[in-house]
Amino acid sequence: MDRKRSNINVTTEMKKRTIWLCTGALLCFSIVIVHMFKIRIVDYEKYKTKATDVQQRETELSPMRGSIYDANGKILAQSATVWSISVSPVDTKKEQHQLIADGLGKILEIEPDVILKKLGKEKSYYQSIKMKVDKPIADEVRLFCQENEIKGVNIAEDYKRYYPYGDFASTILGFCGSDNQGLAGLESYYDSELTGEKGRIISAKNGWGKDMGTDYDVISETKDGYGLVTTIDETVQHYLEKQLKLNAEKHKVQEGAVGVVMNVKTGAILGLAVYPAFDPNKPYELVDENLYNSIMAIVDEKERNQAMSQARQKQWRNKAVNDLYEPGSVFKIVTASAALDSGSATLNSSYYCSGSVKVENWTMKCAHLSGHGAETFAQALINSCNPAFIKMGQDMGIDTFYNYFYGFGLAEKTGIDLPGEQNSIHYTNKTHNTVTLASCSFGQSNKITPIQMITAVATAVNGGNLVTPHIGSRLVDKDGNIVKDLTPAIRRQVVSEETSRTVRNILEKNVFEGNGKNAYVAGYRVGGKSGTSQKLDTPQKDDYIASFVGVAPCDNPEIAVLITFDDPRGEAGYYGGQLAGPVVGSLMGDILPYLGVEPIYNASEKSHASVSVSSITGYSITDATVKLQRAGLNVKVVGNGENVISQFPAVGTKVTVGSTVVAYTESGESAMVSVPNLINKTPDAVRAALNSQGLNIKEDGAYSGNNSVKVSSQSPNAGDKVPMGTTITVTYSDTSFTE
Amino acid sequence: MANKAKGKSKFKILKGNVFNQKGAKLDMPLLLITFILLAFGLVMLYSASYVYGIYRFHGDSLHYIRDQAVFAAIGVVAMLIASKIDYHIYKNYIKFLMAVVYIMLVVVLFMPDYNGCHRWIVIEHVGTFQPSEIAKFVIVVVFANMIEKNYDKMKEFQYGIVPFLIVLVSIVILLFFEPHLSGIVIICTVGAIMMFVGGCDVKWFFIGFGLLVAGIIRVLIIFPESIHYASVRIDNWLHPENDLSNAGYQSYMGKLAVGSGGLFGLGLGNSRQKHLHLPEGQNDFIFAIICEELGFVGGVMVIALFVMLFLRGIYIAVRAKDKYGAMLVVGIISQICLQAFLNVAVATGTIPNTGISLPFFSEGGTSLLMILGEIGVVLSVSRSANLNRGE
Repeated sequence: MDRKRSNINVTTEMKKRTIWLCTGALLCFSIVIVHMFKIRIVDYEKYKTKATDVQQRETELSPMRGSIYDANGKILAQSATVWSISVSPVDTKKEQHQLIADGLGKILEIEPDVILKKLGKEKSYYQSIKMKVDKPIADEVRLFCQENEIKGVNIAEDYKRYYPYGDFASTILGFCGSDNQGLAGLESYYDSELTGEKGRIISAKNGWGKDMGTDYDVISETKDGYGLVTTIDETVQHYLEKQLKLNAEKHKVQEGAVGVVMNVKTGAILGLAVYPAFDPNKPYELVDENLYNSIMAIVDEKERNQAMSQARQKQWRNKAVNDLYEPGSVFKIVTASAALDSGSATLNSSYYCSGSVKVENWTMKCAHLSGHGAETFAQALINSCNPAFIKMGQDMGIDTFYNYFYGFGLAEKTGIDLPGEQNSIHYTNKTHNTVTLASCSFGQSNKITPIQMITAVATAVNGGNLVTPHIGSRLVDKDGNIVKDLTPAIRRQVVSEETSRTVRNILEKNVFEGNGKNAYVAGYRVGGKSGTSQKLDTPQKDDYIASFVGVAPCDNPEIAVLITFDDPRGEAGYYGGQLAGPVVGSLMGDILPYLGVEPIYNASEKSHASVSVSSITGYSITDATVKLQRAGLNVKVVGNGENVISQFPAVGTKVTVGSTVVAYTESGESAMVSVPNLINKTPDAVRAALNSQGLNIKEDGAYSGNNSVKVSSQSPNAGDKVPMGTTITVTYSDTSFTE
Repeated sequence: MANKAKGKSKFKILKGNVFNQKGAKLDMPLLLITFILLAFGLVMLYSASYVYGIYRFHGDSLHYIRDQAVFAAIGVVAMLIASKIDYHIYKNYIKFLMAVVYIMLVVVLFMPDYNGCHRWIVIEHVGTFQPSEIAKFVIVVVFANMIEKNYDKMKEFQYGIVPFLIVLVSIVILLFFEPHLSGIVIICTVGAIMMFVGGCDVKWFFIGFGLLVAGIIRVLIIFPESIHYASVRIDNWLHPENDLSNAGYQSYMGKLAVGSGGLFGLGLGNSRQKHLHLPEGQNDFIFAIICEELGFVGGVMVIALFVMLFLRGIYIAVRAKDKYGAMLVVGIISQICLQAFLNVAVATGTIPNTGISLPFFSEGGTSLLMILGEIGVVLSVSRSANLNRGE
């Protein structure tokens, strides 16, 4: 340290240079401050917005979708909580990956390799493993994770739509998509009401994408969807679906079948079925296996997908609402009502049918080619006589015809609460000419939907009031309180009460003695009209739609039933009265008692009334005879004893009035008899045959008061050995007529 | 903070033979600035790091701040001791210090890598430190010594340039293998500043700058992979939002943090970006969190503190007893403030992401210890400086 002081001291040049240095430093820091000023003050909004995007998450909370109920509160569709299983690979331990993949794979029935691959996305926070699993499976997953101390497997709540009755009422209910959005049927029509309102929460999220838990704002509360109470009666719907399926298969229906049961006074739909049905739990699976196989056989993927998509669309179609048909003779109810109500015809009007009639250059045939000859108004309807209805149409003229066509709601949509309702394709008073008027008068040329047809019929028989067909009855909240009444009002009076009564009477007569016989139900005043229409828009000439509409009870109508079979190819032919008539009859026989309508038997129907067999065991023969006769039953004594020691049928068995009870006065085996063959026999012959064998009879089907009907089926079968006194059920049908 | 009280409570206790300072007063303003920076730094580190602690260390919100506080306490003691040590002593150990630095810079290359870099020497159960931190200080001592020795011949190439260049180039080559780009930048810049203040002919800086540009081009040709390394960072700087899945993410999140703070910020502790959106929010990007929580005002405050530290340092330097002391202070203060400048510039997106921590604020115990020790050296210089002259 032996240097001169000046040598050590800080020099002036150094000081000058430090000033440069300071200047440089200040300049550098100034640049930073200016830059900072720019991004935080000038561009503040921009960065603020971007930062908010990164830091916040808007979460939507799903509301619970409302249930769909039948008229009696049975659940037809309901949402249940299910669980979605996902993994967050970043949170899982690598050494547990194989364990997780194997465990989840086994529980969820997924290939472990698939799970392993998802776990391999190490930076991911969310990999879905399986959506919508049920509680037991979710619990199993939870337990598995707990036992093995696994982190990163997440179980989130979700909802799944269930249809407890499977393919029941599928066309009405529709189904939901994967996000619980209604895609068809009521699910679609009432989607917003059923869905409810999503809740929204804005929460701060961290860099791992997770909510930070404490820090969130509820923007709006979740509102669960309303429940939908429908007018559908589960029992009625079941009867309808069962009969429709049975008969559609029996008659080899190619293009589907429709069945509608409607309350004629309110328009409430008690049942609506389309054959074939699908299962709304699995709407994407094709019901028709042959169709499925033929589609899967298509090699070209694009074509195959297109075919599959078309097939699904067709499967989901509600033929009753979305498709048009030519109603044929059923439509004559409308023409007849219009003719009577407008005064252009009365019950006294007379018509003549030669088998055909010429309108301008067209010769229009009657179904009864030899002609009906002279006929009254009522006979014209019962005979379903085309020339007579052409005359009726001509008598009222185009304007009146169209006014009533419009009045019956056939020129506009009915307003039924199902999606995609079609309107009719029809002639108006502007487009009609004499030829179209003629063909439309007996139900050809105009195309309408089945729901339009049954609505018009309901209107014709209910006193003339146009109803709105509807399925939704009311919306209810969680506690069952009514939120909204969905019942629509009566739209307008179309025909007078008197006209309506007259039409009902003719329809009843038609079932009693006309070609509506197959819809007859003993004890119930069923009216009806058959229809067989040729499909004019298909390449084949022999495509028909067989249909039948029935109403009951005719003195004060409650329900109407419409059945249509599109393109039946069975042995029984294609006539509506023969194919659809019996279906309407058996449905009426099921539904009317269920609805509590009491049967009233007239004199000729007494034989249909049933009684319970009372006990005669221990009685003397005389006492037994007196006791049973008082109940309207006969006694046949077997044996030489004095007192009855056993009887057949047993106590409590329901038998038809007039049946015979076999009284055994000696112990020993029951007397067995062979069941005779009754098929194609007339009612008189049947009674004689059974009587001679000591067998009892129960008559079903068409009215058996005259011998124009024949047995179409019997139970038990011919040749079976049965105890004497057994009741043999026979079903009559009328196959004598054409349309 | 307890440290502040401690700071005022004199150091006469530390008097003794080893400390050749004869009771001269240290510079109180510098000490005050240091303590403010230290306290501010600890508070902000806690605010920025507790979330990371919670997320990454099982809910331990004190994970980062605990170590830092311990090192801060040790650092303050070290600073006070260093302020008592005669700064001339370091001159006597220059050869030893240089040897240690070279050895460590070689050893570190064989250490386990972290993100592909060999920058840290890991000593089990003690901790990690970067040899480049020590190298920075040693170079300051070496340069200060050379400048004082050869001050009169500083304008000559063989005295004013060659010895400095030999030291710099050898260190740079070793750092290059780590690789430690930011270390190279800091050491070279600090070296250049010292040479400039130390009286080198200014023309050499222009020549040096030209050579640097040529050199960079040459290096990029020899090591094409380093083009990639550098170009990725530059691209991330200009368009951080283009590559959010990778490197650009950090820059962009930092920018968002700085940008969303506004004038007064979201309030202390209220940063949103620190919730794992911004990687290294407790470290290289702590300034972004400061800006987010304390706003433009907070950011300017931090910068102002460093500017004050710098100016006060230069004030001490020009009044130092000797050239050696002056150059020590210039080197140390430049190094700290350069680091602060580079860090702040990165966080605001003014320059590309270089990976430099913010002195006093960023997490890193050994680094804080070094800085406080270096401030201690500056204080030591201040004791013998004629600070009242001209005041």
